Amino acid sequence: MLVDVPYIPATALEVEAQRAFEPARTSPAFARRLAALALRGGALAVFLGVLIVFSVTAPFFLTVGNIGNVLGQSAISGVLAIGLTIVIIAGGSNVVTGGIDLSLAANMGLSAAVYASLAQAGHGDGVAVLGALVTGLAIGAVNAAAITLAGIVPLLATLAVMNVVAGLELVLTQNTVVPASSEFLSALSAGGPLGIPVLAYILLGFTLVVAAIVQYTPLGLRLYAVGAFPDAARAAGLPVRSFVAGSFLASGLCGGLAGILSVSYLSGSTTGAGDMLLPVVVTALLGTVFSRRLVPTITGTLLSALFVGFLVNGFQLLNISSTLVSGVQGLLILLVVSATTLLGRKENA
Amino acid sequence: MAESGEAIIRLENIVKRFGGAQALSGASLAVARGSIHGLVGQNGAGKSTLIKLIAGLHRADGGAVEIDGKSYDRLTPHLAEELGIHFIHQDRLLVPTFTVGEALFLGREPRIPGTPFLDRAAMRRRSAEILERYFGVSLPHSALIAELSAAEKQIVQITRALIADPKVLVFDEPTAALVRREADLLFQLIRRLSAEGVTILYISHYLGEIVDLCDTVTVLRNGRDVATLPVAETSAAKIGALMVNRDIGELYPKSDVTPGEVILQVDDLVLAGRYEAVSFSLRRGEVLGLTGLVGSGAKEVVRTRFGLDRPTGGTGSIKGETVFSADPAAATERRLALVPEDRRSDGVALDLSVTENTTLASLGRFSHGLINRGAERRQTEDLVQRLQIKTDGVDALVKTLSGGNQQKVAIAKWLSRQSEIYLLDEPTVGVDIAAKVEIYRLIGELAERGAGVLVLSSDIEELLGVTDRLLVLFRGRVTRQFISSETSPDQVLADVTGAYETLLHAG
Repeated sequence: MLVDVPYIPATALEVEAQRAFEPARTSPAFARRLAALALRGGALAVFLGVLIVFSVTAPFFLTVGNIGNVLGQSAISGVLAIGLTIVIIAGGSNVVTGGIDLSLAANMGLSAAVYASLAQAGHGDGVAVLGALVTGLAIGAVNAAAITLAGIVPLLATLAVMNVVAGLELVLTQNTVVPASSEFLSALSAGGPLGIPVLAYILLGFTLVVAAIVQYTPLGLRLYAVGAFPDAARAAGLPVRSFVAGSFLASGLCGGLAGILSVSYLSGSTTGAGDMLLPVVVTALLGTVFSRRLVPTITGTLLSALFVGFLVNGFQLLNISSTLVSGVQGLLILLVVSATTLLGRKENA
Repeated sequence: MAESGEAIIRLENIVKRFGGAQALSGASLAVARGSIHGLVGQNGAGKSTLIKLIAGLHRADGGAVEIDGKSYDRLTPHLAEELGIHFIHQDRLLVPTFTVGEALFLGREPRIPGTPFLDRAAMRRRSAEILERYFGVSLPHSALIAELSAAEKQIVQITRALIADPKVLVFDEPTAALVRREADLLFQLIRRLSAEGVTILYISHYLGEIVDLCDTVTVLRNGRDVATLPVAETSAAKIGALMVNRDIGELYPKSDVTPGEVILQVDDLVLAGRYEAVSFSLRRGEVLGLTGLVGSGAKEVVRTRFGLDRPTGGTGSIKGETVFSADPAAATERRLALVPEDRRSDGVALDLSVTENTTLASLGRFSHGLINRGAERRQTEDLVQRLQIKTDGVDALVKTLSGGNQQKVAIAKWLSRQSEIYLLDEPTVGVDIAAKVEIYRLIGELAERGAGVLVLSSDIEELLGVTDRLLVLFRGRVTRQFISSETSPDQVLADVTGAYETLLHAG
């Protein structure tokens, strides 16, 4: 008697079964593509729509000066959002258990305070720049250790680190604005060619470099693999934890860089760094709708940084209360996260 | 045939413990270079532990590991790969948001010469070449992994291993997600690779595959290798017997029960577009089989009977009472029980304990406002013993049980409910042979206790073994009724596939 019956008589069953399933198999994938297309198209349409509304209603909105202005103003949040994007890529885009770095805004605040304090203490720009970057990197290292060594979920780990860092900033600055000025800082905040601020060029240049690494090198591809499916990355022989730790170091460094830009933009440290968190998270999450595969990308993050920048700028030109801006940003998070989650669910079904 | 070359992988007396449980207790395995070596064993026999050891995912507590004549104290995934051992895992470990090319080359990406940048054009070109060469298939190069079918993903996974130019390929249940045509393609490929000198280690539940494909087979039982045999000198039945250490004649324990009164009667049942004019009766103590291809309506008949679909015509009666409501709650009220095919999503609640699952459908019996935990426990302990459910205790979560034992919990739920009519939908899919036998015995016991049992299965041999009568559905109609003990699988198969009908039309 045969032990292994399913194998032999199943032939005809399976062929028939496959025939029955074939049409059903292609349609969900197609529907998902369509939905993804609609989401991307919708996002671009909203982006253009906002530009058009503002350019009609607000004078000066579409002038070169204003666009450069928006780019310059977006530089700090853009650099932070790019850091956050790296973390989301490496940690996966699950909002609860995936990659997130809530300490970025506080990181920028402390790095800026370190820069300003060093400058005030008579150190040169070189030392101050180094101080800010090392501060950012150290915060990234603490995050990385908490997440990869202690195994705390990023959401909680970085929330805790955020508070510690904000506290350190208060200790360092005594909750005052530490002024700083130097030729280097003035050069950063000055206007550049075509009447566009230097900060705008820095944002574009930084995006270009990071995008080249993340979107076009094997390192970047592996970063995506680690975040999207850690088991697959592990099976491919990739050191998953090192990649996750590296992503937090990178985002820490972005925090340090943003701190330097912030000192030059505001001519000193500032006490309100924490307010930056919401726009940065919006920018990084919104960035996913600008990619074909609905994954976070560096260029997508740049686009969404500009979108958020134009939104804030337009509100200012129209004299709409800035409190409304936070509301709109919160709404955007809800929309984007629920849209991408729904699409993801369809993919798994 | 395998040449009696030296062993490329040799494991000696491997011991591996997880906490208190011993997964491997002195298992040995020697895979000859260039052979196709089968590895079989029931769930829990230690197959996957052994494979993970070779993959460097576990470390042995005792014994020797020798690869290519050199002994290794500790294998790591990286080292295993360097030694040329590659794995086709049961789960397809591919990044869903990657293109085929990216998934294939992840970890060894081609670069544009002289730059640190990915050569996406080369990835596309080479992946298309390789897929064409080995499988004769072409996948759209912009397609993402998430958009591929299970078989296509499997192909990508195998191709990934082939790119690395492996010396040894380990297949872990590779046909689980494949239809027969795709499986045949896979077997051709394995034979071709073997001819090219690649050593294959092949793990499968399907003994037929092992006999067809392998040169040598090693049987694992309870963490030990009980036999390593040349396949030419054995048979699927012998291998099966070694796996369960039980005579195969006992596979279908069938008790003699004289059927009692009709407990379930169905007349001219119709569900538009699915099936029409289905009539049958089920007596107490009778086991009735139902089979048919996907789309034949067999599954829908069972669903309707349990009240999951509303029939568009016909009548049905339970114990002489005419009823037909599309309401599963009313069905369970009438002592009807459904054990669904997909037990993990429909049959049991994986995150609840054995006790909670067992009493889920009969909580009314155990509660008067509050649940009587003691009574609940006693009932469960009793059922666990009766059904021989292998569990760490009645408080263990059901997800920690093996497939066969989960199925038994799904049946225990209805026993606790004191159901009298059992509708079993593919009750033995994905469970190992020993658990199958226990489920067959359970079906026999249900009948002995005077229940009526309806078994839906596409495993015809199994159906003939456990049922008294067998109905075949074809294109929505009952085309044939068989007396199980007087019928051979071939006869049933002819009806299931409609071969008989085709002949009539042709003639």
